[in-house]
Amino acid sequence: MRSTLATILLAASGLFMGTIVQAKDVKVGIVQSTSGGSAALYGIMQKNAAELAIAEINASGALGDIKLVGIHQDDAGDRGQTVNIFQRLISQEKVKAIFGPTLTNSAFAADPLAQRAKVPVIASSNTAPGVTAMGDFIFRTCATEPMVFPGVLDYVIKKRAPKTSAQIYGIDDMLMKTAYDVHKKALEKAGIKIVATETFQKGDVDYSAQLTKIKAANPDIVVIGGLAEETANIVRQARQLGIPASTIMLGANAAISTKLHDLAGPAAEGFLVGSGWFIGYDSPKNKAFVEAYRAKYNTNPDTFAAQAYAAVYVFADALKRAGGADDPVKLRDAIAATKDLDTSLGKISFDASREPVLSAKVLELKDGKFVLVSGD
Amino acid sequence: MIGLFEEFLSSYGNVVDLCLLNILLAYGVWLALSGNMFTLGTGGFMALGAYSSVFFTTQTGMPFSFAVLIGGLLAGGAALIIGLPVLRLRGDYFMLATFAFTEVVRVIALNWESVTGGAIGIVGIPRYTETWQLALLAIAAVYFAYALRHSHFGRSIAAIRQDDVMSQTMGINVLAHRLTLFGASAFVCGIAGAMAAHLNFFIGPTDFGLLRSVDALSYPILGGFNALLGPLVGAIFTTLLPEFLRFSNQWREILMGLLVILVVLYLPGGAMSLLQSDRLARIFRRRLIERHSIEQRAES
Amino acid sequence: MEVFAQQIVNGLSIGSIYAVFAIGCTLIFGVLNIINLAQGAFLMIGACVGLEAARFGLPLPVTLLVAAFGGGLLGVLSEQFMFRPLRKAGGHRWMGLVASLALARLLVGVAQEIFGTEVQAYPRSSMSAIIWQIGGVRIQALQLFIIAAAVVLMLLFAFILQRTSLGRAIRTVAFSEDVARIVGVRVESATLVTFFIAGALAGAAGLLLGVLFNVVSPFMGDSALVKGLTVMILGGLGNIPGAVAGGFLLGLLEVFSVAYVSSAFRDAIGFGLIFLILLVKPTGLFSGFEERRA
Repeated sequence: MRSTLATILLAASGLFMGTIVQAKDVKVGIVQSTSGGSAALYGIMQKNAAELAIAEINASGALGDIKLVGIHQDDAGDRGQTVNIFQRLISQEKVKAIFGPTLTNSAFAADPLAQRAKVPVIASSNTAPGVTAMGDFIFRTCATEPMVFPGVLDYVIKKRAPKTSAQIYGIDDMLMKTAYDVHKKALEKAGIKIVATETFQKGDVDYSAQLTKIKAANPDIVVIGGLAEETANIVRQARQLGIPASTIMLGANAAISTKLHDLAGPAAEGFLVGSGWFIGYDSPKNKAFVEAYRAKYNTNPDTFAAQAYAAVYVFADALKRAGGADDPVKLRDAIAATKDLDTSLGKISFDASREPVLSAKVLELKDGKFVLVSGD
Repeated sequence: MIGLFEEFLSSYGNVVDLCLLNILLAYGVWLALSGNMFTLGTGGFMALGAYSSVFFTTQTGMPFSFAVLIGGLLAGGAALIIGLPVLRLRGDYFMLATFAFTEVVRVIALNWESVTGGAIGIVGIPRYTETWQLALLAIAAVYFAYALRHSHFGRSIAAIRQDDVMSQTMGINVLAHRLTLFGASAFVCGIAGAMAAHLNFFIGPTDFGLLRSVDALSYPILGGFNALLGPLVGAIFTTLLPEFLRFSNQWREILMGLLVILVVLYLPGGAMSLLQSDRLARIFRRRLIERHSIEQRAES
Repeated sequence: MEVFAQQIVNGLSIGSIYAVFAIGCTLIFGVLNIINLAQGAFLMIGACVGLEAARFGLPLPVTLLVAAFGGGLLGVLSEQFMFRPLRKAGGHRWMGLVASLALARLLVGVAQEIFGTEVQAYPRSSMSAIIWQIGGVRIQALQLFIIAAAVVLMLLFAFILQRTSLGRAIRTVAFSEDVARIVGVRVESATLVTFFIAGALAGAAGLLLGVLFNVVSPFMGDSALVKGLTVMILGGLGNIPGAVAGGFLLGLLEVFSVAYVSSAFRDAIGFGLIFLILLVKPTGLFSGFEERRA
């Protein structure tokens, strides 16, 4: 009885999951949220970029007769579903690697399954601390806040020598809470006094109460821990409330997006942010990526898209060096050994704890575009 | 045969776990619904159970079973405390008060970093929850619901649900009955929260918000809260639906919304009403509903 | 003092939008004894439709009408094809709550398909550039427009409800559906109109929110719905003047809990207060001066 039930369920699921596989195909999972609230904002971009990269790699024939087959599954930003998907991708589809998941919450729940099954995971948007510490099969290509923020702060200190600062961040967002902790530590280390600390929550649209308070504290700089949309709104409302242009706004890594200028307009001029990537990054690989992305999806890629794109190229490169995906340990070692691979993010390597080694870039928004002011 | 079952579990183990967990939750909510309490406090009670049990297992090394029990008791205790004043409220006011409770718990969880980790949550929780434990709890919940329906207490509740003023005059202590039910409901939700916390290595405040409460409510309602197995059917249906619709990608949310609306429209008594084609029962039910709507009007 | 005055301005602008939105929610409750959890999604659709109109080059007041019409149309459709059949089938009112949430989910999915997932801004209007400075207080022309539009919408609504035969019909249905039938009110059309007005107010609120804060996205309805429910409780379920007062009160309350307590506990303060109000005075803060519903 049990087994018949199991057979039926297996068969039924096969209807939905079945993909025709040839001998030399290497299946990889793309676990990104394409529905389920704001997670979809970042999931769709990453899914698009990963699929673009897979198509390019297959078309280029760089892997010889190996073909990458991407299987995208939407977890709707719901951790339970992420685990469901990981289980199925690993045991049933027998994927050789997983790209994702979108949310760090989901990563903490699902990545241990991949670790146990020895399936490498390459994340492109899980920037919280401790993600890669879950195991030696967990990697990420996203620049983390501690990698990029000190550079931004150094730049501001050199330029303006700020004495006081204010902080505003999304208290219910794991990413932003993490960023806030990093910002606070860096500010304290640099001896800059924090004169106001304000918070907001997901879905908030009106930040004027917090900003009025910050304005009254009159800080030299304002450090914003928000996603691109939130940051854009905060910057815009801050200027409308009369926080002067001499007060420099600094953002978190996640604020890198062309959306920032779209939504904030001229108010965003002079906004500073550190990142592993930006759309105007002047390298042949990146230019090709941005162009291909625009051509295929008719919109600009964001930083998460670039990181997801790079993740697939990192995997493909390792796959080639490992000579196939049959030996998971060999494949993992090959990923870990990635050294100065030229991608859309620039040259990327992994350190001993599987964190990306990237050149951090300090960017300033000038005339509606992010330009490099420090870094390479 | 066993091999096939194992293969199934390795691919779908978590789906099974979630179904069982949601069945437990569904009966927890059903307890409240059976006393005419449309509770949105589920998320808050789950959070209490989850955070407290994780605190006890990871900080004090308490055995898992005790921690779960304490989580449940804590949630139940909280329900008794807020229940006393809140249960005086009727209908939608009760719903909104429990909603406010869930939100307050969430904001406290966001700010009480030393215990809850704030927005970052608690990472690396040991996985103690086993499928058989969840199955046992789910079976216990169904049995408990069965026993309740056939007990004296259960009949009193049925009377209260139909007409609480009349019940009061007939000597049933309405407040005490509802308070007991509300406490029991929170106890079950607290236990479910504790089990959920030790299932997937991680908990955070977003797990226990409004969405969780609403989802939990939809299990017994979609399944049919008048039938013994209604909550079970609703929980399984709602948990499996996103998995079966996964092929539809972007259209999934649309299809899910549409399916739920169709169920509501064509089976207004819940999915279990499919099986109860007895005309008498139908007429009886309609009468109940009429009575209920008159009651509601009188209330408002 | 300057800061205090600025915070008042901040609170009034957001509060006026809360008020417009909450009137719609509370109207449906007052008339049909339903809490429609899809109102947040109507607000979102209103904002999206309004944005399309604005991109088409229509001036702001016209886009407001377009957004209101979009929201109103959805309201009518939801009554015609969902709430009414459900009532006819004798569904429990809990079924209505579940169905309206499912409808919200469906609409979010549809909006994602049509308008995309990303947050979008309204074309920059000349009004947002005009900022007056009075002492240390800064007021945008846009804020004044929003407040004015909200007040006009509320007055228009009050006029319809109090002075027209349509309004009388709605109020009769609110009093009792049976009585309405006896005195010859066409209950079916009165409920449709009720849903239209409620949806239109939600749609208009969505546009105002979108224009003032540049935050049009498929997901904007969720937090708006929570605010709407909050205002409903503050004002008393079904109490329309209460919803107006409650909207402004919530706006000010949020702003001042940030200003004088802590932004981290803003929502806890709001919900804690609601909890207290429900316990002490469950009919809402404003039940004293307006006993009559709708």
